[in-house]
Amino acid sequence: MKKYILRRFVQILITLVIFQTILFIILDAQPGDITNLYLLNPKVTPEVREQMRVALGLDKPAIIRYFQWLGNFVQGNLGVSFTHYPRPVMDIILERAPRTLSLFLTNQMISFALGYFLGKQMAWHRDTFFEYSLTIVGVVLYTIFTPWFGLMMIYLFGVQLNLLPIGKFLDPSLWRGVEVHANTIFYYMILSVAVAAFIYVGLVILTRKTNRTARQIVRTGGLLGLIALIVFIWSQTAYGYLAGDIVKHMILPVLVSTLVSFAGTMLLMRNTMLETLREDFVMAARAKGLSEHVVRDKHAARNAFLPVFTNLIISIPFALSGGIITETIFSWPGMGLTLLQAVNLEDIPLAMGTLSFVGVLALTAHLVADVAYAFLDPRIRYQ
Amino acid sequence: MNKKTLLAVLSILLVGSFLLSACQNAATPAPTEEDMVEETEPPVVDETEMASEEAPAESDAAKDLDVYRIAMLADMTSSNVWNLFGPGASTYNYVVQALYWPTLYGLSDQRFDLIPFLASDFSSPFEEEGEFFVTTIGLKEGFTWSDGSEVTADDLAFTAQVVKDFQLGGNWDYWLAGVDHIEAVDSKTAKIYYTSKPGLADHEYGVLQNSIVQKAFWEPKLADAYLVIEAAADMDPESDDYIAAVTEAQTVLYGIPADGEPIAGPFMYDQWEVGAFVENAQNNDYFFKGTMVELFDDGTYHEYKEGEWEFTAYGESSGDVILSFENGPFAKAIVYSIYNQDAAVLALLNGEVDYIYNPNGYGPGLRAQLDGNSEVQVVENARNGWRFMAYNFRNAPLDDIAARQAIACMINKDFLTQSVLQGAAIPVNTPVPVGQPFWYNPDVPILCDGMSEQERMEWSINLLKEAGYTWDTEPTWNEDRGGSVDWGVGLKMPNGEYVPELTLLAPSAGYDPLRATAGVMIEQWAQSIGFPVNAQLTNFNNILNETLGGGGNWDMAISGWSLTQFPDHMCDFFLVEYGADFAFGAYENDELSQLCSEFKSTTDLEYAKEVGYQMQDILATELPYVYLFANPVQDAFNLANVEYPYLTVLGGLENLYGMQINVYSAE
Repeated sequence: MKKYILRRFVQILITLVIFQTILFIILDAQPGDITNLYLLNPKVTPEVREQMRVALGLDKPAIIRYFQWLGNFVQGNLGVSFTHYPRPVMDIILERAPRTLSLFLTNQMISFALGYFLGKQMAWHRDTFFEYSLTIVGVVLYTIFTPWFGLMMIYLFGVQLNLLPIGKFLDPSLWRGVEVHANTIFYYMILSVAVAAFIYVGLVILTRKTNRTARQIVRTGGLLGLIALIVFIWSQTAYGYLAGDIVKHMILPVLVSTLVSFAGTMLLMRNTMLETLREDFVMAARAKGLSEHVVRDKHAARNAFLPVFTNLIISIPFALSGGIITETIFSWPGMGLTLLQAVNLEDIPLAMGTLSFVGVLALTAHLVADVAYAFLDPRIRYQ
Repeated sequence: MNKKTLLAVLSILLVGSFLLSACQNAATPAPTEEDMVEETEPPVVDETEMASEEAPAESDAAKDLDVYRIAMLADMTSSNVWNLFGPGASTYNYVVQALYWPTLYGLSDQRFDLIPFLASDFSSPFEEEGEFFVTTIGLKEGFTWSDGSEVTADDLAFTAQVVKDFQLGGNWDYWLAGVDHIEAVDSKTAKIYYTSKPGLADHEYGVLQNSIVQKAFWEPKLADAYLVIEAAADMDPESDDYIAAVTEAQTVLYGIPADGEPIAGPFMYDQWEVGAFVENAQNNDYFFKGTMVELFDDGTYHEYKEGEWEFTAYGESSGDVILSFENGPFAKAIVYSIYNQDAAVLALLNGEVDYIYNPNGYGPGLRAQLDGNSEVQVVENARNGWRFMAYNFRNAPLDDIAARQAIACMINKDFLTQSVLQGAAIPVNTPVPVGQPFWYNPDVPILCDGMSEQERMEWSINLLKEAGYTWDTEPTWNEDRGGSVDWGVGLKMPNGEYVPELTLLAPSAGYDPLRATAGVMIEQWAQSIGFPVNAQLTNFNNILNETLGGGGNWDMAISGWSLTQFPDHMCDFFLVEYGADFAFGAYENDELSQLCSEFKSTTDLEYAKEVGYQMQDILATELPYVYLFANPVQDAFNLANVEYPYLTVLGGLENLYGMQINVYSAE
């Protein structure tokens, strides 16, 4: 196992270098550079523009810039943003990542849980009205034009019903005069959820061997209890209402991105589950006289889970940059919006930094998925 | 742990959690918007008192606005003043911060007359002192920084010296305009030493309108940056090492945090939640707060503070007052929230913001939404700028005035703007927009003005024939189908060669549908008289690269400029000796060059106007650019919450960053 992980790690490093090289070539091939933005300002003379190019290292040949970039990347230095000059790219990524993480991890978890559960039920209730209707709903949501859907949801919930905010991640009227920054709240919110998730996973492991009814009571009760506990703890702090404000602003973007993305998981789970249900071991389980829910949940669903789980792990890093549309529609200043603006304004270091960050996470996720396979599927043994 | 125990523990945990949540202290609720408004409402005033001599003060209170909420489409990126007016220049940085720092002079409301701000009066005429041209400027007494200290000539001298030492460009003019140094004669008198006599562009519309920073705050912060500069002192200024050292010093300078910097403008920094909002608080000690401003129809500008001071310029106050208002600020705070354009419009419709700072304009859909709300008003104003088509003088036959005029004549701007673009743009015919009445020449010739399509075609063909052009098949007017041009084929230049295919670059429809449509129409019009024009709708960056960037693969290009109040763009956009890369069309004209020399160097405003009139004549005839149209500035604001002392102004509220100083409560 150790050997396998080591070998995969080396492979990932090589892939990373290739990824960085392709990334550099593609972004560097864009016509012009950041100083083009100043072509339209008569007060920025050619001399000043040249000075800026020197300052930003754009006067050097591409091959030198490439090796400089690679060297700096290895040292964790992603350079300086042109549009936020002279602010380090890493600084900007660390500022934006928590906001995207909060939004899209929530979305990923909800859409995964929903997709997994409904996909399982759809396969189990094959050829029923339930399956047909959910398939239609799923396909519609999966193929819907997200910007239009997002704007319609804003119009409905934000303007017509006036229930939810129409954009941003906070309400300035609540945050005026507040000493603490939103990112601090985001960090603590992520920490709270991480601790709760850790406890819940422990709870799940502890209740593995208990009977079904007790297990369901403890797990459901534990989940609700943890949520109540988090709400209680936050409400006792001076900044609980700020966290509440962020959560309120998250509802609409999470709802939209969940509705758009859960269908993919649901349809994948349905298909793999249908395949699994045709397997001999499922028939054997039924023949043994096991109850329907045991056959469904323990024998069929667990085996169908593998590709769905892989899909989840691989998609999490891309959620960091893939939320461009959602973040743009909801004025949510996370990684996606940052990447879009960086590319539009030819802020090459920021664009490369953002994509590199996502690239590293994606490769790490592949490694995690490979290793997790061994635990999830006892038939897999790495050599 | 057995199952029962585990179940019991978790059940207790669950119940406990719910109980704790239910019993939480409700005495410390989160502040709501209503709470905050209530707390900041002005105290109730007895009506009997309102009729007494306190009336003016009450009138001020009535104008007070708790918070002016501006939606903007991007965040600010820097709060370092040196960076802000250099590489960090961006419209969103300026919306929030441009008013922080004092300037010697500024431009008046609505008419944009040059008027003293920090200066007590106009600068003295230039005198020669040794090798320098020197002017003396007095500063106002009582003009203070937000920390209570006076703004002094030392601050001015220090700012200019830093700009010069670090060779700062961009919107800093002290170095590039040829200031050798500024001397603080005393705390309220400064002498500016130029190496050569500056013109209006460099002096009045350059150095005198540059920002001034507080020496006491910045001097100790610049030590590290100065170490880099000092290390380069012995290097050859032309060497790469020297340039590298200067750029390194600039980087250090731009990275210095400016937390707590004293300002002297109407608003000061209060809070910045990156990506969400910025807040400015009112500077209660702003010098001009409460100043009365009057504009007269004879051109007089008059401002005064009752019993304290008075200033009059550009006339004798003999005509009627056409604009009168009291200077603010009235808003206690300004909150700049960041939205995308669609969300900003919804926020305005919902009453969440009072004004949208939106340089992108509104498409028909958004405009319809705004117009459909009775609490929202959209005002349109002329834009200080235009869309144009440039000719590349390097390529025949565009170096020939006959070819340029023939194509220009075929462009029916009224038809283009009214029928094709459905009134989304206003036709433009002159280098200086009509909205700049001081500089605009009303007698500038307009080619083929008012002609029908047939008359345009005939005029263009006659012009080309006279210049020696011939066709294999000459274009003719066909009366069938309501009348149209039967296209000419095989247009030959006077030297007998066929006119080569001409590439017309225009922005793609995704970037700007108006210019893309104009490009397609111009292609058709030019082709109808035989010019083989091929319109390429392309990425705007490609157009920049081919034109200003020096790529050179173009014959005609459609682009646009925003203009400055001082119209020296009539030189910079056309003549290489003034505009360098900006004069990308390679146009040359000795007469214009001579006029530009006078225009740039004169310090006499009336003489500059006279020269400017002649320059407009030349440019409208020679046509290095064909001026096409301007799309009006559209400003949307919430009528129920805010009012402005005036709404008609060149460039609209957008050009004034939402008129933050003078906006007041609609209640």
